[in-house]
Amino acid sequence: MATPILQVKDLHTEFLTDGGVVKAVDGVSFDLYPGESIGIVGESGSGKSITALSILRLVPDPGRVVSGQVLFHDQDLLQISGEEIREIRGRDIAMIFQDPQSSLNPVLRTGFQIDEAMLAHDKATKKEAHLRTIELLRRVRIPAPETRVKDFPHQLSGGMRQRAMIAMGLANAPSILIADEPTTALDVTVQAQILELLGDLNRDLGTAIVMITHNMGVVAGLCTRVLVMYAGEIVEQGPVEQIFENPQHPYTWSLLRSIPRVDALRHERLRSIEGLAPDLLHPPTGCRFHPRCPFRIEKCYTDEPRLQEVAPGQQAACWVTMERARKEMDADNLVDIRPGAGSGLHKGELTE
Amino acid sequence: MATSVSYPTPGPGPAPVVATAGIQAPVQASLWSDAWRRLRRNRLALVSAVYLVLLVAVALIALVHTPYSYRDVGVARPYSGPSGANWFGADILGRDVLSRLMVGAQISLIVGVGTQVLVLAVGVPIGLLSGYYRGLFDTVVAFIINVFYGIPDLLVAMILLLLLGPSLNNIIIAIVATRWMDMARLVRGQTLALREREFIEAARSSGAKPAKILFGHILPNSLGPIIVQATFGVPAAILFEAFLSFLGIGVQPPTPSWGSMAADGLAAIRIAPHMVIFPSIALSLTLMAFNFLGDGLRDALDPRQKR
Repeated sequence: MATPILQVKDLHTEFLTDGGVVKAVDGVSFDLYPGESIGIVGESGSGKSITALSILRLVPDPGRVVSGQVLFHDQDLLQISGEEIREIRGRDIAMIFQDPQSSLNPVLRTGFQIDEAMLAHDKATKKEAHLRTIELLRRVRIPAPETRVKDFPHQLSGGMRQRAMIAMGLANAPSILIADEPTTALDVTVQAQILELLGDLNRDLGTAIVMITHNMGVVAGLCTRVLVMYAGEIVEQGPVEQIFENPQHPYTWSLLRSIPRVDALRHERLRSIEGLAPDLLHPPTGCRFHPRCPFRIEKCYTDEPRLQEVAPGQQAACWVTMERARKEMDADNLVDIRPGAGSGLHKGELTE
Repeated sequence: MATSVSYPTPGPGPAPVVATAGIQAPVQASLWSDAWRRLRRNRLALVSAVYLVLLVAVALIALVHTPYSYRDVGVARPYSGPSGANWFGADILGRDVLSRLMVGAQISLIVGVGTQVLVLAVGVPIGLLSGYYRGLFDTVVAFIINVFYGIPDLLVAMILLLLLGPSLNNIIIAIVATRWMDMARLVRGQTLALREREFIEAARSSGAKPAKILFGHILPNSLGPIIVQATFGVPAAILFEAFLSFLGIGVQPPTPSWGSMAADGLAAIRIAPHMVIFPSIALSLTLMAFNFLGDGLRDALDPRQKR
């Protein structure tokens, strides 16, 4: 774990829209170590997918990576030529997408599409590619791969399609696999199987995984480290257990509290985070989370907090942090986390 | 490089059992076999297809054998009607109408298919490139297409034919000049829609070259509409050629074209109506057949139709 395999430094990605500039990714930095698996979590529009797409320079129009560095083997992926980045895509850094239904070409046979992934980088002859495809499909636990290679995507189930996508991602034995919400479109049991598969691949092949998701459970199951994004910025990062046990940013804390629990009181309301995700055309001043934060203080309205060490290996960008919120604002007993600076309903005050 | 990549066999758990013996593989239901199944159920399209196959056969037979030479004058009495010797009668110079219709079928098919091949060769790449790259190229192409749409087809064709001279090749070129825009526009639209699809993004993220994305992913996915468009383009081109020949700036005598034959007959329509009727029937049937087939293909290739 000495040198990171991928270093993202101060990445800024903007979308030039008619209404103005949307800063979808605003100064994101993180390191990825060989064989590691990290999670990037955040709600829709937090910039997590755009961060991943920026790494491979696949940001859709009218998006532009405006500044920052993406260092991979001492190369800045943002500076190299189009031809060079194309060589890295799929060979060194592969990506799998949310909806396996639409990420496979509907008119081409599944096996052929996996062959293609290898042939694109001249990694094999057609015959070798075909044999390796069968091997890969077996590896991702698709039954009867010899016959399945000839199937069209619509002949496979959703889970099998995602497995085929993963096989395609692994075709060139990349050192990094970026998974953009790979389980969102699947039902829960299949989700678990896919996560288990990704975990096995991470362990057995040493492929580093960047898991992008809005689901904290997915992160808990697969990742060792987690980055929490909000409105284009990383608001908290650290080892998974630590973040889950002791989140320091109120956003992370609310995210974790909003996971529905089986053991919750019967009539207890689902806890949601009040308010809407911020309008990135006109982001809030100061801390971007302050309009929805139950623990905001004066300073949050005006000054933007930077990431700082809150525990060993754990950083949060917050003026208050949960430690203080617990001590001074009785955060743990707060039931209703509507913005109200800690003055919301407390457990004892519940009427029903 | 191939040997440097290796995959460990599945770690924990037993190796997956491959149980293929005795299991009937599901019927391969590809897009094309689905479409073929739907097309076969369309009577009108099927009859049209049979007619067109026969027409092609007739045109091929005419290469080696016609009842009379299409250019021999006086094989029958001028203007004489259908008879045992001349089934479809004779024309103004006493040439056999059936023989001329058979050779005319060659002309019509060459013009119809030839223009569409060129339209595909021109329109598809332009549409793919302008739809995929957009930007300046797309703007320029859109401008040129709009200019072409603004000029009447007949004017473009006439000017070209006057400049190039009326030969079969030039007729094809002239028709292509008035028809390529529709194909370019269609392919551009398809490409614009497809380039945003996730599988294109997936292909790009796996390092596929632009040419591979265009011809390996986008083109196969727009093949349905392209085929339909080309099928409808064939009768339009045949009709246009007939029209040009009718005006006298198309295929030049003595080579027969259904259009020029009808034009010749028009002068004598009172005394020898068969000279107009037979080429017209041949033309109408052929146009109808292509249009019905196009309709059938459109329905058959429409993925929303799951009958």
